[in-house]
Amino acid sequence: MEAHTDRFKETARRELKNEMSQIFLSLLPPGFTILRQIGMSSFPDPVSAVDQARAIRAEVIERMPELLEEFEKNAVSKGATVLWARDAGEANNIILEIARKRSVTYVTKGKSMITEEIGLNEHLIKEGVDAFETDLGEVITQQLSLPPFHIVGPAINVPPEEISAVFLKKGIIKEPTTNPIELGKAVRVYLREKFRHLDMGIVGVNMAVAATGTIINVENEGNIRMTKSSPRTLVAVMSLEKVVPTMADAMHMVRILCRNCTGQKISSYVSMDTGPKKPGEIDGPEELFIVIVDNGRSEIFRDSKTREVLKCIRCGGCLNTCPVYSKIGGYPYGFAYSGPMGQVLNPLLLGIKETSDLYHACTLCGACKEICPAGVDHPSLLLIYRAREVSLKGKDGKALPFIEKTIATFVSLGMSRAWLWNLGAKIMRPVLHRLSHDGYIRNIPFGVQGWFTCRDLPAMPAKTFHEIWTERKHSPVTTSRKT
Amino acid sequence: MKVSLFIPCTVDIFMPEIGVAAYRLLSQLEAYPMYHQDQTCCGQPLFNAGYRDQAKRAARHFIEVFGNDEHIVSPSGSCISMVKHHYPELLSDEPSWCDRARELSERVYELSQFIVDVLGVTDVGASFDGKVTYHESCHILRALGVSDQPKKLIAGVAGAQYVELNNANACCGFGGEFAVGFPEISHALVKDKATNFLNTGADVLLLCEPGCLLNINGYLHRNHPGKRAMHLATFLAGSMKEA
Repeated sequence: MEAHTDRFKETARRELKNEMSQIFLSLLPPGFTILRQIGMSSFPDPVSAVDQARAIRAEVIERMPELLEEFEKNAVSKGATVLWARDAGEANNIILEIARKRSVTYVTKGKSMITEEIGLNEHLIKEGVDAFETDLGEVITQQLSLPPFHIVGPAINVPPEEISAVFLKKGIIKEPTTNPIELGKAVRVYLREKFRHLDMGIVGVNMAVAATGTIINVENEGNIRMTKSSPRTLVAVMSLEKVVPTMADAMHMVRILCRNCTGQKISSYVSMDTGPKKPGEIDGPEELFIVIVDNGRSEIFRDSKTREVLKCIRCGGCLNTCPVYSKIGGYPYGFAYSGPMGQVLNPLLLGIKETSDLYHACTLCGACKEICPAGVDHPSLLLIYRAREVSLKGKDGKALPFIEKTIATFVSLGMSRAWLWNLGAKIMRPVLHRLSHDGYIRNIPFGVQGWFTCRDLPAMPAKTFHEIWTERKHSPVTTSRKT
Repeated sequence: MKVSLFIPCTVDIFMPEIGVAAYRLLSQLEAYPMYHQDQTCCGQPLFNAGYRDQAKRAARHFIEVFGNDEHIVSPSGSCISMVKHHYPELLSDEPSWCDRARELSERVYELSQFIVDVLGVTDVGASFDGKVTYHESCHILRALGVSDQPKKLIAGVAGAQYVELNNANACCGFGGEFAVGFPEISHALVKDKATNFLNTGADVLLLCEPGCLLNINGYLHRNHPGKRAMHLATFLAGSMKEA
């Protein structure tokens, strides 16, 4: 999909003022967080369960290449066709070709983040193959051309009036209604028609089991199962990191994924496909294609500092607990992945220069890292991206970063020389005093205005701690250690 | 016991009374701290802004100044977390410095953590007639795992009535450069924190992190004059019986 990561600040400002978004944000993340707590507490030992999940994901990112080869070998031996795509363009063309060779006029889709990432719908539709989303939320966002607001509830913030209007326009309903049950029923009828005549379905993959060649999908609406079982041809699209070593690992990750995502012990539907329909079986697709998409991931894998990004299982737990996401929702992140998940992933997929706001829009509170069942250390990754941005800044020769860098260097010189540090404080005092009234500074008209939009700063007292200490006559002042 | 006091730059420059309180508190408990006059800043602002080479300079200086001390104590969890968790990573390509950083990381403590876990004290001899509540600062809670210690110290204050703060562990929206770079989001977060505080009806919001204090008090001063947050050290030292 087209990235709009450069519009983070303006979109965030707009969303902070959007009443509908704010209502859902005040309910959704805390609601999910409570459900998660209840779900996780159903484990006999929740801490060990998370530890085990983290160990599985750590193993996956260490052994990814061999696990993927094992998966391919076993999937092929069960009759699936495995196709590798280096990037979005290649993946889209592979899938388009599969559709064209079978004269498919339309496909249905299970909700899948990787197909959002590569912009599959847009590509297929542009090339004359209609693509219909089948997850209720995705049906709505597709009709309205909206990015996902939340990874689990992509259209949770869209009011029924808006849904009614667009459904009416697209012929999904005949009479306007804001009754959610009526709207849901109408989508059901509309989708059943699509499934009935379906020749080709496209789904994502939650887990690909190396030891068995099985693909697993986790969902709550049954639309993925319909998309998988209705057509003759099934295409499953997965990114490299979806692979897990064994079925036992996969089952544990399903337990963790559902609990951490919606608080369920298990989602309403979990479907597993090991190859296409075999002789004598009564249902399932006649042919199964598994498209394994790299799209920058092998490069992420090769970099030991950022490899852990690939641990993410897209449960969305981090979105619900993130203070920033909880105020602005999914739109400002400007890409398929939002919240902390997107903040660590998007800069690697789209580029450090293009995503600056994403890795700066973080208070480093660590709530995401704490809740992450895959063991991703989001704050540390964001700090690495900030450092990479600084190392890039020197090279493009822009004036402001140069000044910023000079200031940083000067400050660091002060930090390593106490006399300079204390002199700095002395010089700063009269400047700050001029700006302060009644013990507080209400604005500083250069550099740090952001601070003063909603708060004051205490004026600098007559003495720093250092000065207070130095002037105490009988204090046990230690002698200097630095030589 | 040799205790060394590290005064964070925000405390040194804007809130020296916290440093004085920390000194008084430790002295009262007979853990008379020394103060190295060569100390400056832990370098976290530079590190968080991505200026790692520059932050290294601050880190090496810190290690030189504090490297031989038995217990390094600071009235900030964020600075302690910087030293404890990020110095070894920051200096990973300079093996001898990295070793010193690792070794140092075992000897740094946030103030309340030091008083409760090392000194074994929960009653510092303070009394307060009123209601108090406590904000769980992110780096104290999640980076250091310190949560019971300050609450024990509060429970040890005679007369103080403790009330639970709703969403006590939610971030106040400070985040250093974040508060300046994303003021609208930061505003929404600190507003929530202040609202939760006001809803408790407590006389004072206690916390152990100078960064959160600048943020929350700055907001309260602008929007709810008369209401205030206070560093736990200042609160305890101010309500101690004079020794």
